[in-house]
Amino acid sequence: MSEQVSQLIDSLRAKAERGELLYIGENVVRVDSLEKVLGNPVYTADLIPRGTVYAKLFHSAVPHGVIRGMDLGGAKAHPGVLGVLTSRDIPGLNESSAVLPDRQLFADPVVRSTADILGAVIAESSPAAADAAAKIRVEYDPLPAIFDPLEALKPDAVKIHPKGNIARQMKIRKGDVEEGFSKSDIILEKTYRTQFQDATPLEPEMGLAIPEDGGVRVIGSMQSPHHTQAAVAKVLKLPPQKVRVIQAVTGGAFGPKSDETPYDVCSTAALAAVKYRRPVFCGLDREDSMVMHTKRHPFVITHKTGVSKDGTLIADESKIVGDTGAYASLGVFVIVRATFHTVGAYEVPNVKADSFLVYTDNTYTGSLRGFGGPQAIFAIESQMEELARRLGMDPLEFRMRNMLVPGKRNATSALMDESCGLPQCLEKVVASSGYREKAARYRNQTGSVRRGLGLALLMHGNSLGPEGNDYGAVHIEVLSDGSVSVGSGLTEYGTGAISGMMQVASSILGVPLSRFKLERPDTSKHRESGPTVASRVVVIGGNASKQAAEKLREKLLPLAAEMLKARVDDVALADGIAFDRRKPSQTLTWDSLVTEAYRRGISLKEDGFFMAPPAPWDQEVGQGTPYVQYTWGALVTEVEVDMETGYYKVVGVHVAYDVGKAVNPGGVLGQIYGGTVQGLGYAMMEELLHKDGAVVNPNLGDYYIPTSMDIPAEFKAFIVEVPGPLGPFGAKIIAEPPIVLPGPAVRNAVLNATGVSVDDLPVTSEKVLMGMKLMQAPRQS
Amino acid sequence: MTKRVITLNVNGTEHPVQVDAPDRLIDVLRDQLGTKSVKEGCSTGDCGICAVLVDGRLVNSCLMLAAQCDGRRVLTLEGLLNDPSMKRLQGTFMANNAAQCGFCTPAMLMASWDLARHSSDPSPEEIKVAISGILCRCTGYYQIIDSVREGCRGGER
Amino acid sequence: MIASGTDLLPRMRKRQIAPSVLLDISSFTEDLRYIRQTDGVVRLGALTTVTDLLESPVFHANLSIIREAAELFGAPQVRNVATVGGNVCSAASSEDLIPVFMALDASVKLISAKGERALPLKDFIVGKRETALGPSEILSEVSFAAPGGHSWTAYEKLGRRNMLIISIVNEALSLTLEDDLRTIGSARFALNRVSGRIPALAVRTNEFLGGRKLSEETIGQAQKVLASELSLTSDFRGSGSYRTEIAQAFLKRLLQRCSRMLGGAS
Repeated sequence: MSEQVSQLIDSLRAKAERGELLYIGENVVRVDSLEKVLGNPVYTADLIPRGTVYAKLFHSAVPHGVIRGMDLGGAKAHPGVLGVLTSRDIPGLNESSAVLPDRQLFADPVVRSTADILGAVIAESSPAAADAAAKIRVEYDPLPAIFDPLEALKPDAVKIHPKGNIARQMKIRKGDVEEGFSKSDIILEKTYRTQFQDATPLEPEMGLAIPEDGGVRVIGSMQSPHHTQAAVAKVLKLPPQKVRVIQAVTGGAFGPKSDETPYDVCSTAALAAVKYRRPVFCGLDREDSMVMHTKRHPFVITHKTGVSKDGTLIADESKIVGDTGAYASLGVFVIVRATFHTVGAYEVPNVKADSFLVYTDNTYTGSLRGFGGPQAIFAIESQMEELARRLGMDPLEFRMRNMLVPGKRNATSALMDESCGLPQCLEKVVASSGYREKAARYRNQTGSVRRGLGLALLMHGNSLGPEGNDYGAVHIEVLSDGSVSVGSGLTEYGTGAISGMMQVASSILGVPLSRFKLERPDTSKHRESGPTVASRVVVIGGNASKQAAEKLREKLLPLAAEMLKARVDDVALADGIAFDRRKPSQTLTWDSLVTEAYRRGISLKEDGFFMAPPAPWDQEVGQGTPYVQYTWGALVTEVEVDMETGYYKVVGVHVAYDVGKAVNPGGVLGQIYGGTVQGLGYAMMEELLHKDGAVVNPNLGDYYIPTSMDIPAEFKAFIVEVPGPLGPFGAKIIAEPPIVLPGPAVRNAVLNATGVSVDDLPVTSEKVLMGMKLMQAPRQS
Repeated sequence: MTKRVITLNVNGTEHPVQVDAPDRLIDVLRDQLGTKSVKEGCSTGDCGICAVLVDGRLVNSCLMLAAQCDGRRVLTLEGLLNDPSMKRLQGTFMANNAAQCGFCTPAMLMASWDLARHSSDPSPEEIKVAISGILCRCTGYYQIIDSVREGCRGGER
Repeated sequence: MIASGTDLLPRMRKRQIAPSVLLDISSFTEDLRYIRQTDGVVRLGALTTVTDLLESPVFHANLSIIREAAELFGAPQVRNVATVGGNVCSAASSEDLIPVFMALDASVKLISAKGERALPLKDFIVGKRETALGPSEILSEVSFAAPGGHSWTAYEKLGRRNMLIISIVNEALSLTLEDDLRTIGSARFALNRVSGRIPALAVRTNEFLGGRKLSEETIGQAQKVLASELSLTSDFRGSGSYRTEIAQAFLKRLLQRCSRMLGGAS
């Protein structure tokens, strides 16, 4: 036997030893990388056929009012215009809402925000539609508008919805906080505020509808094709089977593309397609997208916290108010996650929380990466820093004393078990950042440039948890050429999770991912798998994918055994080669195996399905196990502040996440880098502003997201792997968590550098400078 | 509206195109000439996702009126698919996970290719400056910077 | 009139202005795109791009401010097309080069079918987005005397992030010291906003500084004069009081930096 062959056999043998972990933990190139670097025309706007007409949505000019009349004459007469759609043109239900039925597709007659869509101009070209839309005149009878959620909570406030301004309420009652306060040496009460953040996927929302077959085919940029199908069918009054929805390659999402906007653009396009019997493209430009799609909820969170003088947390009472804007959207679940995370990664024996999801006449808010977590953790981690200062304790020691470790219980009294990797995460970042040595060095700075360190810890409940049944289905078919086609209702929009899910199947089957093809999610082909949100693809989809692959393997191994004249238990498959472990020189290629299977009429199609175990909790007291597992994390930032201007830079980020098992480490790091930078944007510079209900800065020149010049010079990321009970190979979610910690860590670092507590995000240089001026101002006696 | 005929050299081929006054270069490239790698992200020149090379300079094609490009040479990703330097960059982008949603990828590749022409070993700082006008929301830029560093080196000049 | 359109086109897109006709001068590069230095005067053709400024060997030593400002300007794609003329004619507080040219005591040349005229830049900009450009005139050139021996010009900019921003504060100082390297011969300090949103020289501050000895006390007093001279409005990028604080901090910083570069005290 030649040297080469012998080496190949040894390598195969070694790989076979890894069993199902063959490709797990490998930086395999994503299945969808090639088309992206080639610049292939795969996004929705690239697929517009000749003869397509364009829909331009027009929206309310007032934040609260009743439409008295609409003058569409100018628009209809504009050259190139086919017509203008309004609520009168809806054959089915005038509804476009994700959870509560509180929102219409085309507002009529009440408008509750400037994001409310009133209708759409349909024209031969996009500029014609836009120019025509500018000619529409709407008259409103204005109603008093509310923009502050605390105002909206007052009993005499104007009702934005008939049932009042509270869309959802929640509470936690653990132990007895009053007793806890009576035993506390120090009680601190502080209020924290967060801002509207825009998701800013670089591709805005778009939908393309083509009339066909008594129904319509819709191609769009979205996270949830089946939900979009249901929404469009309802509006068009068609049976769902007549509405075929296909997710095109999607250029980023981060949340809003799982809320109402895809329903809006796809329903509008579909309505027009059916009415005019033409393909219709409804694509939002950046301004429309930033006005109309859901943002992150601004929160006002007050914590009253009691500690003993040795630094033990005893009681925490929080009031949590989330501004959901004009419509509830996914806010009904955002408030739940925020509430469950109200004391973050710490054990507090007595917890009382009262949270309110409140309507206002601001543009509405909904899903955005982190989903209530960033707001809740900003508040508690800032409070922890303030408490440490009050106690005269080192912020790290104070956190270590109280953090969740195996054996402790969180805010819902769920018991943390050995899958809690928080201590390992903290250890990594403390070592990497040189925290202890630097914290001591930075204690007594003078000079006009100063540095500071900020620390924050993360607990992030995995997947849908309390939001409903958490399931997914994946279909795998081995084609006659040996390629492996994978299809699912779960979607890819940048995270790489779908490729990760396929990498699981590739590992089980022993066939390289390069042989795999991803089918475009298609409601006519793939089972409904819930929304692709909550970072659930690797955990839920990964398990379904694993199951389908295992079923295929069970079919193929006996055939391979027969062809190799070996025992089934001795057959191994790695790198697309099947061989007998006892006689490894005898090999069989995957292609020949597949060819023989086809020859024998063996079906190579399998479905996998996975549903997460129920997550029971008591709604009355907010106690139980709303999450089946948790992702853990720790972050240290170092900032450098120019004391004369308040301008600061984040010079270092050290971060560690316990992800259970990193299926594709390069992919996990990509999520960590990307999420952290998005979190730094939230911490430092992002703020979507409203004035009298109108968005002030709906464009990328006035709304700042980080550029390559804004990223920290030093970024050290560590993957910790403490397996969890839910995901394949113990995997935990990672797509959302990295956005959570930068907010409080930056805020705390600035505090440590300057002595200024900025209690409302973003931490701008203005707030830092003006905070310093206030500190220097002579006190009035 | 009066139409004008202009001549654009796109990816080495002369194209006579009819344009209206408000037509932008991106409209002509995508809608008339089919170079769909050029994406539109913001329409106000703030994101760089539409970046192409015009007469050898990186510009935002959403901010150039087509009529102003009469007689100019435009280069998009489609015109560089056989270029060895671009192929090297595409390879390093794939190997380093630099394309997540992929929407900024063509613009990032154009800026990187332009940098590679001028520098065979750019520092991370130089790379950051070269891509500073292109926004990415997915990657946080780090894996892109690694890809460009690797892709610019190891090439024959 | 449109050169690169980097200011004009986004404003049209946002429907802030709706011109019915655009006069495109971008192709007159042979006549209007140049950087010349003759007899101690630097002349920039109106179609000179910001990248041209960055790449020109002319802007070193005490003219390096031009390169500094160009480096911090926009982003590469914008630098490649944005023009000197476009920047100046926009007359907006968002235009980075205007304070620089004002500090350098630049003049503009305006040409028309009837001939040409020159105007100091500070007189060319008459209000927010308002210039003295006549209806049939084109700005053809921006020129300034290259600073002499004891002169240094420096620049500071601050925004919400590091790149691609509309500045909150954007300032330039041209400082000339006497032979003792301590007495201020003249100071020309210009900001993107002095009153309202108009780029201008801080006239009273400059008057105060002329002839005084550079010291911590002088700087402190100049800052107070500046604070009283500035009348800055608030907008979503920053409040008026914050902008005033920054302006004062930058004045001190620029005075110290220029002095240091000239071999004087810092």
